[in-house]
Amino acid sequence: MNNENNKDEVVFDVKNVNLFYDNGAKQALKDINMKIYKNKVTAFIGPSGCGKSTLLRCFDRMNELVDNSYRDGIITYNGEDIKDINSIYLRTRVGMVFQQPNPFPMSIKDNIFYGPRCQGVKDKKILNEILDESLKGAALYDEVKDILNKSALGLSGGQQQRLCIARTLAMSPDVILMDEPTSALDPIATLKIEELINELKKKYTIIIVTHNMQQAARISDYTAFFMLGELVEFNKTEEFFSHPQDKRSEDYITGRFG
Amino acid sequence: MKSNNIQQNALKKANFKTKIDLLVKFIFAFLALICACVVIFIVIFILVKGIQPFIIPDGSGATQNISDFFLNPNWLYDGTGGMSYMMLATIYVTLLSLIISVPTSIFCGLFIVKVCPKSIKEILKTGVQILASIPSVIFGLFGMGVLKPIVKGFANAVGMQTFGGSSVLTGVLVLAFMTIPTITLVSITSMEAVDINLSKASLALGASNQQTNYKIVLKASQSGIFAGTILGIGRALGEATALQMVIGNGGVGWDFLNVFNIYRTLTTTMLAGIGEATGIKYDIRFSLGIVLIIVIVVTNILLNLLKNYMTRIDKGEPKDKNKIGIIKNIKIYLEAYVHAKKN
Repeated sequence: MNNENNKDEVVFDVKNVNLFYDNGAKQALKDINMKIYKNKVTAFIGPSGCGKSTLLRCFDRMNELVDNSYRDGIITYNGEDIKDINSIYLRTRVGMVFQQPNPFPMSIKDNIFYGPRCQGVKDKKILNEILDESLKGAALYDEVKDILNKSALGLSGGQQQRLCIARTLAMSPDVILMDEPTSALDPIATLKIEELINELKKKYTIIIVTHNMQQAARISDYTAFFMLGELVEFNKTEEFFSHPQDKRSEDYITGRFG
Repeated sequence: MKSNNIQQNALKKANFKTKIDLLVKFIFAFLALICACVVIFIVIFILVKGIQPFIIPDGSGATQNISDFFLNPNWLYDGTGGMSYMMLATIYVTLLSLIISVPTSIFCGLFIVKVCPKSIKEILKTGVQILASIPSVIFGLFGMGVLKPIVKGFANAVGMQTFGGSSVLTGVLVLAFMTIPTITLVSITSMEAVDINLSKASLALGASNQQTNYKIVLKASQSGIFAGTILGIGRALGEATALQMVIGNGGVGWDFLNVFNIYRTLTTTMLAGIGEATGIKYDIRFSLGIVLIIVIVVTNILLNLLKNYMTRIDKGEPKDKNKIGIIKNIKIYLEAYVHAKKN
């Protein structure tokens, strides 16, 4: 955790975060402290059930949808405690892409329009600009430009996932959270998404949860390694994979467990 | 050694198992056949009995004139609408009741599934289930005791007259009360089946809870809600007892268009006074039965076609393909036929 000299701008600052499920019977996050830097890709890795997805959901307050759970500690977004930010507004700034591609059962066009329309954007011209920009941003434009009025459910899994990314881009967020976005996809679709993430980090801050260590090594600038709800190690990706500071990180990287 | 034993046993039993499979298959087929036979028998019975009054003279030597049956407003009893009018009245009453019950049910379902606290959700659901199982005669009593005075007062307030509260409107209200639980229950089931990830995706895009409910949950469950509406329509079209207790059983011709008039539907005509009816007046009720069956079958076929169409859209098949599919197929077939003829 030697990021003292880092000059990058901090987007999220996580301080002493604990999170409990089942009215406190299960502690999913234990005293997490970390910083998320602007226009960088931060990867969360670790074995199943280690709390990485839970922490991800804290950033856009989706964790509050889980019954009987509560969180303490402070997470700030650009210096402001996210508990003081209206959750609906926060989610327009912090987009999320889910593990399973989940396009809405409507046309490709309407999928992209959904977010802006919920914010009251009605102007056809603006909507069409958003449509073009976000589809191009998600590297999907060429594949779907002739079938914009067809149902999104007719697309392949990889295309659906890129549509979900495009749908998120349509809100022009600051941060994009990705919860194992490639785990339901084949290797070729995965490659496309990874290339896309490399493009997207120029404009957006990205936090990605992944099971795949190689993926984390390929695409991320920072890596956070979680185990049993604890943040074991958080470092620059090259540092983390070449000189892990913690014995548990080393074991995990070298494949001794997990 | 163990696995060897298992294999030998399996071989011995395999033939026996195949025979059992075959036997079970026959038993199922037989049971299905019985069900089918009952339906077919009922339809044939109604058909035979229903056609009789038009062909075979009854005790007094009278047969039913077909054009009277369809159109004469004073046919059967004085002041009885012709069959066509009754049929239209049946559909009219059902439609009016749906205008009340469908929106109520959808919002009721949405409230139970998405809005109300989890602790009272189950209680409400059980309540709706109990409502759905209440016999129609109870709804009829409720209509007589509660709705009739209300409708009477309402009619007087707007300067109209009712027969002591008996009216098409009272019938519509009773039917609405009866169909709400049915439609609500099916709607609840289909709303609960909507993928939670869709709602989450919507919320993650900055949509509010209500936007998510209307734009995602309702849209994704529309074919289920429609299925519930079909069930509701079935219940409303076929309802006799409750309706007969409140609708008044009178009226001629187009009287039913004014909701404060009394009228009679196909079902209430069949039911009212069936104990005293003799001869042609008894047999003609079977003819009405044929008409009712036809109405119900035709509505169901049309609604199911519509529902399949909606389900296909839900599944993401392109719209245009479905719309012109049949016409296109016929066209292709004809072209192929012409082509074959030429060669």
